[in-house]
Amino acid sequence: MRRRSFLTRTGAGLAGLTALSGCTGDGGDGTESASTESATDTESVTDEGTTTGTVEELSGTLSVATYSSFVGEDTAGNWLKSEFESEHPDVTVEFETPENGLNRYIQRKSEGAPIDADLFVGLNTGELVRADEQLDETLFATASDRIEGADTVKPELQFDPDGRVVPYDTGYISLVYDEGEVDAPGTFDALLEPAYEDALIAQNAQQSDPGRAFLLWTIYNKDPDGYLDYWEGLVDNGVTILSDWEPAYNAYSDEEAPMVVSYSTDQVFYHGEGVDMSRHQIGFLNDQGYANPEGMAQFADSDDAELARAFASFALTAPAQREIATRNVQFPAVEGVDPGGDFGEYALEPPEPVTFTYDELSDNVSGWIDEWARQIASN
Amino acid sequence: MTTPGVEIEGLTVGYDDVTALDDVSLSVTDGEFFTLVGPSGCGKTTTLRSIAGLESPDRGTVSIGGRGVTGEPPEDRETGIVFQNYALFPHMSVRENVAYGLQFRDSPARDDDERVTELLELVEVADLADRDPDQLSGGQQQRVALARALAPEPAVLLLDEPLSALDAQLRQRLRVQIKRIQSELGITTVYVTHDQAEALAISDRVAVMREGRVEQVATPETVYREPATRFVAEFVGDNNVFDGVVAPDGMRATVGDAAIALPADSDRDRGESVAVAVRPEAITVGRDGSDTAATERTVFLRATVETVEFLGDAYRVHCEWQGRTLVVKTDADEPPAGEVALRVDPADVRAL
Amino acid sequence: MDARVDRLALPVGVIATLATLLVVFYYPVGSVLVGAVRAGGQLSLVPLRAVLGDPFYADLFGFTAYQALLSTVASVLVGLPGAYLLARFEFPGRRFLRSVTILPFVLPSIMVAVGFLAMFGRTGLFNDLLAVVGLGPVELTFTLEIIVLAHAFYNAPLVTRLVTAAWESVDARRVETARTLGASPLVAFRDVVAPQLLPALLTAAVLTFLFTFMSFPIVLALGGLEFATVEVWLFARVRDLALTEAATLGAIETALSLGLIYVYLRFEAMQLRAGGGSRSIGREPLLAGWRSLLDPRRLALLCYGGVVLVLFVGPLASLVVESVTTPEGQFTTDYYAFLLAQQASAATGTVQPVPAITNSLLFAAGALVLALPMGVVVSVVAARETRGSRVAEALLTAPLAVSGIVLGLGMLRTLVFGTELFGHRLTVTGPVAIVAAHAVAGYPFVTRTVTPALRAIDDRLVDAARSLGASRTTALLDVELPLIAAALVAGAAFAVAISIGEFDTTVLLAEGVDSATMPVALERYTGNRSLGPNLGPATAMGTVLLAVTTVSFVVIDRVGGRWER
Repeated sequence: MRRRSFLTRTGAGLAGLTALSGCTGDGGDGTESASTESATDTESVTDEGTTTGTVEELSGTLSVATYSSFVGEDTAGNWLKSEFESEHPDVTVEFETPENGLNRYIQRKSEGAPIDADLFVGLNTGELVRADEQLDETLFATASDRIEGADTVKPELQFDPDGRVVPYDTGYISLVYDEGEVDAPGTFDALLEPAYEDALIAQNAQQSDPGRAFLLWTIYNKDPDGYLDYWEGLVDNGVTILSDWEPAYNAYSDEEAPMVVSYSTDQVFYHGEGVDMSRHQIGFLNDQGYANPEGMAQFADSDDAELARAFASFALTAPAQREIATRNVQFPAVEGVDPGGDFGEYALEPPEPVTFTYDELSDNVSGWIDEWARQIASN
Repeated sequence: MTTPGVEIEGLTVGYDDVTALDDVSLSVTDGEFFTLVGPSGCGKTTTLRSIAGLESPDRGTVSIGGRGVTGEPPEDRETGIVFQNYALFPHMSVRENVAYGLQFRDSPARDDDERVTELLELVEVADLADRDPDQLSGGQQQRVALARALAPEPAVLLLDEPLSALDAQLRQRLRVQIKRIQSELGITTVYVTHDQAEALAISDRVAVMREGRVEQVATPETVYREPATRFVAEFVGDNNVFDGVVAPDGMRATVGDAAIALPADSDRDRGESVAVAVRPEAITVGRDGSDTAATERTVFLRATVETVEFLGDAYRVHCEWQGRTLVVKTDADEPPAGEVALRVDPADVRAL
Repeated sequence: MDARVDRLALPVGVIATLATLLVVFYYPVGSVLVGAVRAGGQLSLVPLRAVLGDPFYADLFGFTAYQALLSTVASVLVGLPGAYLLARFEFPGRRFLRSVTILPFVLPSIMVAVGFLAMFGRTGLFNDLLAVVGLGPVELTFTLEIIVLAHAFYNAPLVTRLVTAAWESVDARRVETARTLGASPLVAFRDVVAPQLLPALLTAAVLTFLFTFMSFPIVLALGGLEFATVEVWLFARVRDLALTEAATLGAIETALSLGLIYVYLRFEAMQLRAGGGSRSIGREPLLAGWRSLLDPRRLALLCYGGVVLVLFVGPLASLVVESVTTPEGQFTTDYYAFLLAQQASAATGTVQPVPAITNSLLFAAGALVLALPMGVVVSVVAARETRGSRVAEALLTAPLAVSGIVLGLGMLRTLVFGTELFGHRLTVTGPVAIVAAHAVAGYPFVTRTVTPALRAIDDRLVDAARSLGASRTTALLDVELPLIAAALVAGAAFAVAISIGEFDTTVLLAEGVDSATMPVALERYTGNRSLGPNLGPATAMGTVLLAVTTVSFVVIDRVGGRWER
């Protein structure tokens, strides 16, 4: 395996504690064993996945809560729906895409309002931390040990120590840059140099996933004590912080700046004839990329938990994983799945994926982001 | 006349801290032409609006045609109102304006057209029926406003300074017309004006108001000849009013160095302050005291002519007498000039 | 109409208006703001003290006021010459121009932001133009300047509209009197016209300050985090579910805004009413032969025309151009083909453009039908000018003063999640709720245009009608409303504009994509990456929105124009 994962888990057990080892680099053994184990599991699941699911006949309506770009024409959501429904003719899958995402359900739970959805698709570590901080009762059921195929997910992507959330894909935050304008910065410190003055567009960590991931990445490298000073330097060097990924990427497309915080899958969108690939170079700072796995979890209040788990299982089958990866332009979460095609060719993985664990984030992430935002806004 | 027209009892209206009407009671008999007159701010318009239901009084009651209407909204009171600025609906034709009130009566619609035509004829603007109000002169607009107010056959017609915006000639013509129409229809009418001459000319009875109170209610003749208060004396018609003191004999008032005889029926204590009023037309201009008809109580005042106004049928002469201005009206052929002797007969003197 | 029904109409209207406000405004907003004075379930000043004592928030409010002030100055500078042009000159298309000054109001900020970036971006049209004359390039994106410009885009037309109306109501005879007394045209303007324009100008300025103080999407889209305003921060706090802090910020912001509304109402009441028989100042022809172009005033207006082209036409034209241009600068119809594909798509979660247009128009019509009577009822109450009526009016105008985010959060918690009432959980969502919310957002604009017009009507017209037997309601319908038709049409246009442009509450209250409107579709398409991450589909939808809205305004203007006598 060419790729080496620096994200490890201390054990293969699903409820096992995650630990970050990328910075120390001494977790090699665990990594190897975990990935090989999972790889074999994947094979068995993919062989049986589509057939074993139909043994007991499922029926009813499944309500899946997700973000709006997950559904619609040609999306992963719609593929999952139609495939799942054709496998289970008595099942109807419906999507709920509230504007404020997971917050909608956190608020519903805390207000005592009923939650109609069965499954949430598309939450990350930070959001899970927020949900747990906000609520006394758990929003999600501990179900991953009952979700078939959950144990085939790459252990390094597992981010819920309580086994509620099952990752289904991941992205790696990196820089996208125009090599005609700037050289690859290479390191975080390089971004402070005059060569990169007014060169970077990032996103607001308060409301943007890649923005938050990039901030966490800087904290990962500069420590909780040093990241604010680092950002002071970035601001002095003219970093622009826009509200979200779309405006940031559009600004980059309009040549407002030669670098933007984005995903390492950028070239999947941009390749082929007539595309100037020099504008779509991927920069892994310090040879890292910050992993931002997306997971799904069954609502504790779901009245059709079995159906929800069946759908989650289905999303972890090899064909589903390939479709999710290609249509969502994110890496598959299940070990050993190769999406192939353009994705396989153009999606780049960082030499060293890094991320904070759930435990590292809880009690810290709000404070980190708040301090950071106050510093930026005070400028 | 026993049928009641409009009865007002103890009406009090206040705006913020100002009392606009203070315990006003009035009784207008059926078919009467009743005028509220007084300077601006005296409460006459407020009284009228209270009758119409356009003001909500703090206290007091209003009844129209024997029916208590206190607290009823304006649309239920069966009044017709005409304002100084006509208040014609600018987006409706003359005909539509006049017809407007008819829709709220229980009557067959086909009668309405006739009724409108009849009214427009009554006020002599039938040929303007299809015009818009802004195409009419002020006088024409006022006639239309009158027709509109009369159309639904109100129990009482309320006129709020209807002629004030018109020029003098038109004003006189229209007021005769209003009077004629009123007596033809026999409709109870309450008329508000600040013009005392208009009030005297047009009314069956007049209420003189001042600062939210009624000073006097009487026929125009009585108000003119026997004003109840000094205010009425000064406000209604031209008048010469002087402050004096009752002389030791109790029969005269000392004003300056003159002793003006008081009317026989005035019962005043000596030394008491008294206001003495003499109408300009009651004063005769002479050269000296050689008049034959003079009695011993006739007074001659030596005055100097200052300004003379020619009125056509008479001269109005402003004289200076002991630092006071005296107005005299004389039908002499020539305007008086220089020193004159002004003769005042005791019968013409009012003590207030 | 039955007499009793008729008599009840107005009080019932007031009660219905208050009830609607209570359900879709006061209750939701109150449920959030109460958090500002509560800690641990008890009444407390702790949250307020925490915010007021934090120097960061002092700076935040300071910066917010500063950018609002700059925006107000810019809006007045851009808006005033427009009023001069529209009030004093006659030229072909003047009426049309006047009626489209409302257009910026309707444009969703997402779209305006796209247009501004396309126009003023580093590679935008503006820099291309500057390059032609050998200037530039200027860097405007993500600066305070572009935020201020975008605020001027939204609010300068407001200044123009209000001042034009005041200018048209100046009685020409007063100017003529001043001239015969020896005043030069300039002095006559200063002494006679200007004092009458000032209240309108102040009204517009206070309103602009209010809107830009609470500005959110524009600041978010065109500025970086460095330019965060109170509202942007409030949004972030809500996202982070720091609701007490959000409530406190919202409460302080609302208190300040209500104060501004009160000031605004004072200025509005100061505006002189055109008395009966007043004659407006005549208009000069803008162009009377080529020689007239040498007139310095006309030259200045020509330059102003250039500014208008760049600031107003530029972004909108850029938007249209973007909708047919690939990122590489080639002509394309892909984005419109995308719209057609969305329309043809049967996939769940797809927002189809045609239903979005239909929904937008239906909701706008519904909101209009509701907002017009609501606005008129409030105006009738406000025009009475009784004691305390201005305070009441300020409270009834509160939808202008409350942050959209606070309202959204409140609606979410009370209407969408539902409220326990007599053991049942009542939820208020779907098209009816959307229409009600749009009406509540739009009626203050109806009131703002109708109240001054209503006040200008001679009370005695109503008195006359009533003594003729018309009830208050009948008098309103028969006499007052026909006389203020122009103001009603203007109010109607505002209500429609607000409804068509509304995004936040629509998205909250919509149940799925069936109730999606044009701005919702536009927003969805910005997130659609099927043609790669670019704004093409959104700009195509934006162009459709622009076209539909322009047509609606022309229709309102025509229909309304026929109704006016």
